[in-house]
Amino acid sequence: MIEFINITKQYTETAALQAVNLRVDSHELFVLVGPSGSGKTTLLKTVNRLVVPTSGQVLLDGVDVAAGNLQTLRRHIGYVLQSSALFPNMTVMQNAAVQLEALGWPKAKIRPRLEHLLRLVDLDPKLYADRRPAQLSGGEAQRVGIVRALAANPTLMLMDEPFSALDPVAKRQLQALILRLHQQLDTTILFVTHDMQEALRLADRMAVLHNGQLQQVGEPHAILARPANAFVADFFKDVSASERDLAQVLAAGFGVPRSGGGEPWAAGASIYDWAAALQANPTLVVQVAGRELRSGDLIGYLATLAKEAAHA
Amino acid sequence: MLNQTLEYIHANGHELLVALGQHVAVALIATLITIVIAIPLAIALMNHRRAGEFVLQVASIIQTIPSLAILGLLIPFVGIGTVPAIIALVLYAIMPVFQNTYAGLTNIDPLLIEAADAMGVSRRYKLLRVQLPLAAPMIISGIRIGVVMIIGTATLAALIGGGGLGTYILLGIQSNNNAALLIGAVLSAALALIASGLIKLLARVKLRHLLAGLAALVVVGGGAYATVALTAPRTETITIAGKMGGEPEILINLYQDLIAADQPHLKVVLKRNFGGTSFLFKALKAKQIDIYPEFTGTVLQSLVKHPKAISHDPTQAYQDGKAALAEQFGMTLLPPMAYQNGYGLTVTAQTAAQYHLKTIADLAAHPELRAGFDPDFYQQSDGYPGLQKAYHLAFTNVKTMEPSLRYQALAQGDLDVTDAYTTDPQIQKYHLVLLKDTQAFFPPYQGSPLMLTSFAKAHPQVVRSLNRLKGRISTQDMQRMNYQVTVEHQKAATVARRYLKTHHLLKED
Repeated sequence: MIEFINITKQYTETAALQAVNLRVDSHELFVLVGPSGSGKTTLLKTVNRLVVPTSGQVLLDGVDVAAGNLQTLRRHIGYVLQSSALFPNMTVMQNAAVQLEALGWPKAKIRPRLEHLLRLVDLDPKLYADRRPAQLSGGEAQRVGIVRALAANPTLMLMDEPFSALDPVAKRQLQALILRLHQQLDTTILFVTHDMQEALRLADRMAVLHNGQLQQVGEPHAILARPANAFVADFFKDVSASERDLAQVLAAGFGVPRSGGGEPWAAGASIYDWAAALQANPTLVVQVAGRELRSGDLIGYLATLAKEAAHA
Repeated sequence: MLNQTLEYIHANGHELLVALGQHVAVALIATLITIVIAIPLAIALMNHRRAGEFVLQVASIIQTIPSLAILGLLIPFVGIGTVPAIIALVLYAIMPVFQNTYAGLTNIDPLLIEAADAMGVSRRYKLLRVQLPLAAPMIISGIRIGVVMIIGTATLAALIGGGGLGTYILLGIQSNNNAALLIGAVLSAALALIASGLIKLLARVKLRHLLAGLAALVVVGGGAYATVALTAPRTETITIAGKMGGEPEILINLYQDLIAADQPHLKVVLKRNFGGTSFLFKALKAKQIDIYPEFTGTVLQSLVKHPKAISHDPTQAYQDGKAALAEQFGMTLLPPMAYQNGYGLTVTAQTAAQYHLKTIADLAAHPELRAGFDPDFYQQSDGYPGLQKAYHLAFTNVKTMEPSLRYQALAQGDLDVTDAYTTDPQIQKYHLVLLKDTQAFFPPYQGSPLMLTSFAKAHPQVVRSLNRLKGRISTQDMQRMNYQVTVEHQKAATVARRYLKTHHLLKED
């Protein structure tokens, strides 16, 4: 559990963060999202004290991160940077072993651990262990970056726009990988991105930042459905137009109270998946958040969207 | 040219190898010291930008000081020989090595530094595993620049008795010996190229292997040195040095042969081309050398404080110099040889015959003769101005010219009279006639061995051996020997030995 208490970071001219209060629960995949300059990366870096806040406290499982030994703190936090930031003078294995060596792991234990993690991120240790970063694609390099961060089995992994430099295909693959790893492992993940699609896809919960201030915190569909202010609405406008989910359909007033039966769906499921399911089975009844949705609701919802688009 | 060079190599092979070895040793030591200073300094300052920039400025200022000036500045503090040469070389080479190391360390991608910090690695780990390896290509290229510079500048070490290939370059310039000049220059250039290539190769070797290799080298080298030092017979060594040029080299070879003939068990070490007068004098004072040949005129003019006017009587001049040296420096000047190595006036044999010229006084009657003088000689009161008064000379046409050109100009008929050094081999080469200084205007320059009085007292037999040269070697003899060494490029040792044999000076008394 991470608690940000009244975090302010003042640079000579500007305030990067203004009195931010935020709580990230254990085992959550929590996304900090916002345009560039919003302070999201600054906030992330206050956790491992790459940034020291001007005032305020960061508590990690109730302990102030400023209290203990800095190196000890950092050795127990995974960190994935923008671009993989692998050391070009070391092999994949040596790169991944950095934190374990800092922790004083015996050599005999390091190799099996890293081979296991490489397989976990779909890299064959036989092929990749002795390669240099220059011999890796962007996606492969970032997988190694993730292995490096997970090596010491940290309870918390910080990811600072890790996929922003990747091509769309590699990006989707790595997003899927992160979702899978998050399910398999116990690790809390704090993930920074300026890409709202990525935020919506990955986040259990997310926080929207703008000009160093927290705008809204919540589950993606809830934020999409009820943006707290004009900035949040505007920020997610494009996504709202394309990535509709069932929560939005409910929010628009469709569906009837549950009468039993039907297939339970998540509120975050996209209306396109719903449409595909209806195409296969036109009589499908979807059960969401205590209400029932049928094919007529989809048609009705799409009709309201058409009206909105005409008014806009 | 090529033939001459090959002959020179053939005749001086061993000495060349020794000089090459000295050059390599001086360069290697200077390089190691530079690395040991510059790299840790850059590491210490990489997180203190302002101090780093300051050091960079200081280092570049040092580099703008001419190397010769640095050598001069260092002599009062560290004396002469290899030590000041190495210090000067280190001062020079620190700049490129420091600059490259500093730039290499401070220009690492900040994301990589952030990654290392975020992993919580120790500073040591970050430095050894991340920063130094990433800066290594820059550091290596800095070392390469430094080494090439060191090898090039090390040629100047010869000026202060540091030896090395510069000896041949200076010798070549001074005695107009292109073969020596070429060999010195080509060898030092080749050495620089080889060193640069070697460093490039070494850069591919892993650091750990490199350090192991270096340690092995130190152990083996140290072991070999210790073995040699311990097993070498402990005979007493007498060091005889000589100034730059052919004549001093002939003299020290004469000394060596004379001493060795009487006391074969003594080890006599020669340091030829050991630099200028003040270097040798300081070295003698500091007991770095035991004996060197000096001239009475130089003693009175430059070395001792002498209140009286310099006597023009050679015997008186020797007595004055000897007394002053004994009193002021505790040194002994042995009795001089016969020849005079001073100023004189010279004309071609043809001119001498045509105008019936035998003495300088004879010139007074011929003001129409065209005179050409060395610029110093033309200006100094003990040169042409004084001479003019003493002999009532009134040349209407006087030029100043580069000393090395005047004999040729005389031989070609562009000049009629010029100043000369009395033992200059060019006099023989161009068949010139030296005019007699009947009024003894020029101060006497007679050569004799100079040593500390303490040394002379401890080595009476050496003094006796050297005194056999007292009153020997005429000006013609010296001219001939100089001609054989600097024009014909015979070895000084051979020429010296031949003189001693023909004059029966090697027989026991």
